[in-house]
Amino acid sequence: MDMGKRWKEFRTAWQPRIKEWKFMFKRMRESPLAIVGLSIIIGFVVIACMAPILAPPTSSNPFLLSADTELSVLTTRPTPPTVKHIFGTTGDQYDIYYACIWGTISAFRVGILVVAIGLIIGLLFGIVAAYYGGIIDEVLMRFTDIIIAFPGLVLSMALVIAFPTIIPIDITILILLTSAILSLIFSAFKPQRKLLLVTQIIVLVSLFLYITNPITVGLNLSRLDKVLISLAIVGWPGYARLIRGEVLRVKNEDYVEAAKAAGCSDFRIIAKHILPNTIYPLLIVVTLDIGSIVLTAAALSFLGIGAEPNSADWGNIISMSRNWVSKPELLVQYYHTFLIPGIFISLFVLGWNLLGDSLRDILDPMIRRR
Amino acid sequence: MSENSLVEVKNLVVRFYTYAGIVEALDGVNLKVKPGEILGLVGETGCGKSVTSFSILQLVPPPGAIEEGEIYFNKDGKVIDVRGLHKEAIRQMRGKEIAMIFQEPRAYLNPVYTVETQIGEVLLTHRGKDLLERAMQTLKKTGRKASFENRVYKMMLIKPKSITTRIMSRFCSKKALKAEILKEVVNLLRSVGIADPERVAKMYPFELSGGMAQRAVIAMALSCQPVMLIADEPTTNLDVTVQAQILNLIKELRENYKSSILYITHDLGVIAELCDRVAVMYAGNVVETANVYELFDSPLHPYTKALLESIPRPGVEFKSIPGIVPSLINPPKGCRFHDRCEFEMDVCRKVKPEFIEVKKDHFVACHLYGGSK
Amino acid sequence: MSSLIYIRNLKKHYPILGGVFKRKVASVKAVDGVTLSIYKGETFGLVGESGCGKTTLAKTVLRLLKPDAGNIFFDVPQDTIREITELEKTNPKSKRLKHLREQFDVAAFSGEKLLRLRRHMQIVYQDPTTSLDPRMLIKDIVAEPLVAQGVSKGEEARKLVVEILNRVGLGEQHLYRFPHEFSGGQRQRIAIARALVCKPEFVVLDEPTSSVDVSVRAQLLNLFKDLQKEFNLTYLFISHDLSIVECISDRVAIMYLGKVNELAPTDKIFKSPMHPYSQALIASVPIPDPKKRKERVPLMGEVPSPVNPPAGCRFHPRCPLVMDICKKAEPQMFEVEKDHYVACFALAKR
Repeated sequence: MDMGKRWKEFRTAWQPRIKEWKFMFKRMRESPLAIVGLSIIIGFVVIACMAPILAPPTSSNPFLLSADTELSVLTTRPTPPTVKHIFGTTGDQYDIYYACIWGTISAFRVGILVVAIGLIIGLLFGIVAAYYGGIIDEVLMRFTDIIIAFPGLVLSMALVIAFPTIIPIDITILILLTSAILSLIFSAFKPQRKLLLVTQIIVLVSLFLYITNPITVGLNLSRLDKVLISLAIVGWPGYARLIRGEVLRVKNEDYVEAAKAAGCSDFRIIAKHILPNTIYPLLIVVTLDIGSIVLTAAALSFLGIGAEPNSADWGNIISMSRNWVSKPELLVQYYHTFLIPGIFISLFVLGWNLLGDSLRDILDPMIRRR
Repeated sequence: MSENSLVEVKNLVVRFYTYAGIVEALDGVNLKVKPGEILGLVGETGCGKSVTSFSILQLVPPPGAIEEGEIYFNKDGKVIDVRGLHKEAIRQMRGKEIAMIFQEPRAYLNPVYTVETQIGEVLLTHRGKDLLERAMQTLKKTGRKASFENRVYKMMLIKPKSITTRIMSRFCSKKALKAEILKEVVNLLRSVGIADPERVAKMYPFELSGGMAQRAVIAMALSCQPVMLIADEPTTNLDVTVQAQILNLIKELRENYKSSILYITHDLGVIAELCDRVAVMYAGNVVETANVYELFDSPLHPYTKALLESIPRPGVEFKSIPGIVPSLINPPKGCRFHDRCEFEMDVCRKVKPEFIEVKKDHFVACHLYGGSK
Repeated sequence: MSSLIYIRNLKKHYPILGGVFKRKVASVKAVDGVTLSIYKGETFGLVGESGCGKTTLAKTVLRLLKPDAGNIFFDVPQDTIREITELEKTNPKSKRLKHLREQFDVAAFSGEKLLRLRRHMQIVYQDPTTSLDPRMLIKDIVAEPLVAQGVSKGEEARKLVVEILNRVGLGEQHLYRFPHEFSGGQRQRIAIARALVCKPEFVVLDEPTSSVDVSVRAQLLNLFKDLQKEFNLTYLFISHDLSIVECISDRVAIMYLGKVNELAPTDKIFKSPMHPYSQALIASVPIPDPKKRKERVPLMGEVPSPVNPPAGCRFHPRCPLVMDICKKAEPQMFEVEKDHYVACFALAKR
């Protein structure tokens, strides 16, 4: 049976890697901090997945908070926790419990997307700069330095304000540009002839389309998306620098030269040799970063330039409590408006930090063991 | 402890407790170094030569621990049980009575301090009094007997560890002391054959070539005139011509200072060149010890025989020892060499052979020679 | 015997950048004018101390480094070599020379030609721990040359990989493991398998036994000999361990500071070395026989830096036979007896 044999082959190929992962998990289980961190994250994941069950959505867009109409008639002050509203409500009678549950999904989305976009751009810049060296390295790194020179929070604030809500994107131009860049990259690295040909055809076709019949699409960016994009723009230089250092270290190892001697193309060397050996420190930084990005997004929401005014977002809820805690005794009276979402944020960041720290301890000796 | 040994190691057992398991690094090592001789310790990588030398100085790094055995050091006629010494006494011994040099000299020199500073540190630790007195003499001669500097030196002599001394010495430039140290360092560097010692003393380790760095480390080791020098593969990383120079230097040192040398290597050529007696180690045991001429002429232990046969000779096919060195986490029972030995007998698989004197001053651990007594 | 590789006046310098604008202020003359030929089917030993340029020479011949001057001819007929040499002397800018060089001179190869060349020349590195990618499975490591050059892939490649692994003493059960699960000797065998999987003709062995245990060394050396007979290989064996070179090489060249001092068949060069450096080098090797201890005067001084080599003959500051001319001019290699070449003014006089 061809399929049976293929499955067996697949299994044997992955067995040694699975063995390595099992060893890693065993080390993880032995470190109490790792267990705590991992359980916190898993707890949040469960909350995020079960959000529709834990807090049934009140409208078609579950991230849109709706005020409790009964209470809003009675009072304009935040109400303390009751049976109906477990964590209480804000001044505008938004249910804090509901906002915190759906805010989890928001937090994950922000954290993971920002890190993913930052990673992609950072990897591209860092690897190309380190591998080719010389003037390419200088130019790319100076550009990176310019971005780093901007104060992160200020830049993300400016970007959030400056980005238009609706970006008209010319799809044909987009396809034209991407395929043009791809064909340039392919002609430099030479992975396979067919790929290069395909991209070049796409360039021509999209050029033709652009001249004759451009297709425009308006991309609707919510404010949270703008926050996402600006955080990613501010965050990628860190990854670029980190991966550049790692690639410089690995570039001169014997096995990279042996791959060159075997006739590998640059693309293949980067993808198969350099990337797997340099990505590990980056993974550690990424887990630590997710926490701090969510914190920054919450800070932006608190300042009022993050998520929309009534969206389910932790920072948003805390910003709503701003008006109500002007005096010390009010701090105690209205504790639920800021303390509870604050606990959610702190736990989230703590979980990722613990996970990242323990990953560092686990991955390092594993690398040393080799 | 026999009368004529300088250092004696008896039945030393060292184990390392690692994640992967318990490594039986040394399994009853017996070693004797006589005063004024060069004892070669030869064996393959991982056989425990370095661990033995670290044990003598109680420098076995965790997770290793010396479990059993005795180590004796003969200090001017007094026999000291090294394992029983407490930390401070061992620290006094290291560097002063027994010094050690290593394989990669630049890795054992601090890259941010010059040679002068580093050798000076060793000198101050062990010969501080001597140097301080000389510095005070110089000051007396130049008529600055009552100066602040002199007071600081006096305090350093009398109460070296008090806080006042330390604070005062921080504020003092100690020029006279530094000049004495430099003089001594230059002398030492010259005695190890460095051509312009004044220049080399001011250099940083990365500026030195391999041979020069090794000489500097030897100078550091000799600064306190130890009775014994442990050399852990000092010439393995050096070029052949530089190695010849260093070997000559070591021979000279033995002549001039009459110190014993424990020379660890895996190169049989160096052993034949340099050593008076040889101990052969395999997988944590000393399997044979003999006079160098006797060892090369009539080796008794099968491992020694196989080692000598595997030396490449032109025109002769390369002979290798079949099999691989056993893992020390689960070492073979009985004699650890039995699965690669061509004379393997039944008893070899069960009983570990004793280390006994088969001929005059020729010890072997093998059942072929009655090791099962 | 026909020469498989002919190197002519090969030079490789590493620039040292300094100053504010990172201009080239000096260069490390790693290989500074080496001419030699390696015959088909022989084992050519290359010895010298650290910094003499032997590894640089080997990597330059393999085009892992780009040479700064000189020619490398791989399996090129004699008359073409002669034509190129003539043209370089008479008309260095001619189009015909450029065309010929792009066709035949490895030093001028690029792109597709270079890629195809890799199939014929391979290298085995010194340290098997760093020469194998720690995160790749053995089967991918050994199959890499096949896949990278498009020779074969998938099932066919796997068959070839298993075949070559069997040949070096490993088996199919080792395919799906990582390098760190093997001992040093086994890793070196994997590196050898990787070098031989696309059936090259020329293999550079860069100190392949230095990082391995003594008992494994002999196994590897026997393996090299067997493989050479079976696959008809030509070896360039680099080592600083003269006793091994003496046993395995047919001819030996001794390098010092980027130039070759002496080149001769193995037994001649070890029994009667002529160049003073060769004599000092061979004399300083310790002999594993205590009865043969000799009081020798070791060579004084240290190897000078290749950034600023001494003028004239590189060896003159340490040479016992130094004459006036040695300080000014560089000696050329000449044939002192059959097949025995030396570069020394003192010997030329006799």
